[in-house]
Amino acid sequence: MNELSISSIDGGSVYTGPPPAVTAEKLSKTYGYVKACDEVDIELFRGEIHGILGENGAGKSTLMKMLIGLVLPDGGGVKVDGELVTIRDPLDASELGIGMVHQHFSLVEALTVWENVALGDNSKLDRNKTRERVADLSLQYGLDVDPDDRVEDLPVGMRQRVELLKCLRKDPSVLILDEPTSVLTPEESEQLFASLRRVVEEENRAVALVSHRLSEVLLATDRITIMRNGAVIERCWTKDTDAHSLARGMVGRDVEVGFKEVKQSRKDSSKVLSAHPGENVEGSEKKFVLELSNVVTSSSSGVRELDGFSLGIKAGEIFGLAGVEGNGQSALVEVLSGLRTVSSGSVFLQAKEVPHNNFGRLAENGVAVIPEDRHDSGVVLGMSVAENLLFSNLEEGYKHGLLNKSRRDKRARELIEKFEINCTGPEAPLWSLSGGNQQRVVLARETSDKPVVLIASQPTRGLDVGAIEYMTGQLQELAKSGVGVLLISSELDEIFSLADRIGVIFRGKLAASMNREDANRESLGLLMGRGEV
Amino acid sequence: MSLNLSPSSSAKRKGEIFLLYTFSALGALVLSALIVEAVGANWSDVWNALLDGSFRKPGRWGRTLGSAVPMAMVAVGTIISTKVGLINIGQEGQMLVGAAFAAYMGAHVPGPGPLVIFIVIISGFVGGAFWSGLAGALRYWRNVPEVLTTLLLVTVAANFVGYGLKNTWLLLDPDAAVGNRTQVSQQLDPDSRLPRIDIFGNNFSISVIISLLLIALTFWLLSQTIVGFRLDVVGQNQKVGRRFGISEVRQGFAAMCASGGFAGLAGALMLASGDFAKFRLVPGFTVNLGWTGLLVALVAREKVLAVIPVALVFAGLRTGSSFLAATGVERRVTDVVQGLLVLALLVPPAVLFIRDRRRKLAQVESRT
Repeated sequence: MNELSISSIDGGSVYTGPPPAVTAEKLSKTYGYVKACDEVDIELFRGEIHGILGENGAGKSTLMKMLIGLVLPDGGGVKVDGELVTIRDPLDASELGIGMVHQHFSLVEALTVWENVALGDNSKLDRNKTRERVADLSLQYGLDVDPDDRVEDLPVGMRQRVELLKCLRKDPSVLILDEPTSVLTPEESEQLFASLRRVVEEENRAVALVSHRLSEVLLATDRITIMRNGAVIERCWTKDTDAHSLARGMVGRDVEVGFKEVKQSRKDSSKVLSAHPGENVEGSEKKFVLELSNVVTSSSSGVRELDGFSLGIKAGEIFGLAGVEGNGQSALVEVLSGLRTVSSGSVFLQAKEVPHNNFGRLAENGVAVIPEDRHDSGVVLGMSVAENLLFSNLEEGYKHGLLNKSRRDKRARELIEKFEINCTGPEAPLWSLSGGNQQRVVLARETSDKPVVLIASQPTRGLDVGAIEYMTGQLQELAKSGVGVLLISSELDEIFSLADRIGVIFRGKLAASMNREDANRESLGLLMGRGEV
Repeated sequence: MSLNLSPSSSAKRKGEIFLLYTFSALGALVLSALIVEAVGANWSDVWNALLDGSFRKPGRWGRTLGSAVPMAMVAVGTIISTKVGLINIGQEGQMLVGAAFAAYMGAHVPGPGPLVIFIVIISGFVGGAFWSGLAGALRYWRNVPEVLTTLLLVTVAANFVGYGLKNTWLLLDPDAAVGNRTQVSQQLDPDSRLPRIDIFGNNFSISVIISLLLIALTFWLLSQTIVGFRLDVVGQNQKVGRRFGISEVRQGFAAMCASGGFAGLAGALMLASGDFAKFRLVPGFTVNLGWTGLLVALVAREKVLAVIPVALVFAGLRTGSSFLAATGVERRVTDVVQGLLVLALLVPPAVLFIRDRRRKLAQVESRT
């Protein structure tokens, strides 16, 4: 472990100011065989935004959860203003002035904003006072929210403001934000950072910003700590570093920042496949391998998650669907996975309409899906690699219903080799594989049978840089071989570097679609944020 | 940070399991010895009585085999429903309904003996499947938790069969009805009973062979055919199942029916083998074997073949305990001894279950 103390980045001078608001000393946490945090030291100073950077699984979240008492450390201690304290649960942390905004919101949707803010109070509920306080706070920090709005009516960006208000109302000296921008548009992120800046500069609080995005850490923080594999790899001042050295610290080797440019050869081949290059979307319906027309789905609570969604995917293209999360992407993937029926509208596969009651056959007929959460609908953790590779093509392992083990395992070994899946063999239980390798199992299964279309939903989320390179390469290969690829992603960079055409999903509708050449970041950002330019 | 399960770690795991059982059994033996000695009795008497009763005395292991059959059948059924993710705990009722169907058919269907035996056994399966099928239908039609319905249907079954045993048009033996003293069904005709085998003075019915064949068949179906594969998929991830056209309703309902069917079959075999209640259905006919079968399944931990030794051990405890009264130790104390021995078998699976779940959770958590 490469221990760098704060003094060393100060150029050797010994720090003599007031003690840090929070100091973690040698905090450790082990899950099973995995060291999530291994003797991590960190200091959060007042008046500073401290970026904690690392890939998924680096131990950032575990560290923060220990600071607010959601996870109890196996070893090490926490000091608040130089005093050693014990934090057993979030209430302890709250009393010590440590507050946290979680990546996943904990709001009651049916309640109004001020009611959510007041939740957890022990004293008598004073409606007017709380509402006033919420209004004052939102003015003070530039977090524009109406205290009387119902949370369920608010877009995600606003909900996060409510979470932030909940925290700030308790007047914390330390504010921790865990991946706060993962659900925000670029514009909303900037507003958030502006509010945070005010919090540290005008009120001398300490802020910890946990993130895996280089650009925002560079933009918003004063000081950066990089974590990898549960340990602190590097500490530095934001002003003294750049994206390349941060990336190197994060993954432990040189990487290209951003996505590789699309190879020219692939661009050519896609142009050959689409009959009339450059023509608009409406004109070429005959060539769509998958088409959705006015699809409407309703959840059990009656919310229309897809509300008249129409889209066409051509053979050999990558269609990038951008959008802030929660605008109907998951409903779209569920419809195309056969997990959900549509209330109205049609789905055409190779120009044939798919009957509403027969979506379960989509998988058989060549609709491959890489789901966003592979544990949810992509793999069976308790079954073996060979079995997980079998679902889409049971005949490869069962003849007249009888197991043909040698055939099944032979196929599995071929796929393991072809997709470079790192496991002990066909019999290895899937849960023993790392996340990237589980994702490769899904990819291998879904693409080995020559699909007609591939739906890839956030396919690179949670993967390390090497696995991302592999995944994007595979998507490009597939498109080249004539598969229509629908790439659903909230990362604009990913969409820009991979897609031939780009669409934006907003509140269950396709807000716009365009060729990549005609797209620019600003207009896409606006489309994502409000559905129009 | 990837974790590989190497062969050595699976060997280590086997060693751990062995140690767990050894310690747990030793603990129970020492504890019960202390209790027996504390009340002034002799521990070795108790121990010898258990061994004599279960297999040492002439004819005893035949009886133990007879008791093991219904337990094993119930356990196999339980494993099938567990596989698909359903919790069936109403085997006691399903056994009773199965036995009632069997008794009714045995009394009313004419024909050559072997045919009647066949019909009796099949109708036992059908009866049990019908009873658990009710719970299955409620589960998938109205989303009623099957844990509740299977359990509550035990009471319904007891009353339903009790009513049948009071009415000659249903189950009550017309000869017994005259005196109106006992509620018993008509005895199976001698030629429609399961043949019995006699080896070294041990007498048992061919239900032992039937159940061994069924265990082998189930093992094969679950591990070597697409039937077991489908149950596995639905049991572990319904969404994946649905995506690839494996319906959780169809698989779940079928597994539920099969699960109750095995319990009903256990009831029919009890009736036709004559090891219990002399080929008649009587109130309380199932003598808690349904519950014991559940315990057997719990200890066997979803492994069909493991049912055989586990059922034998539980059956041995049952037959052995009938000799305990002769030791002069008070009955309540011997009950405690028996309970401790059962507990010794149940603790290791519980420990393993909790530990496995923790590890799996930690795995998943550390990756998110």
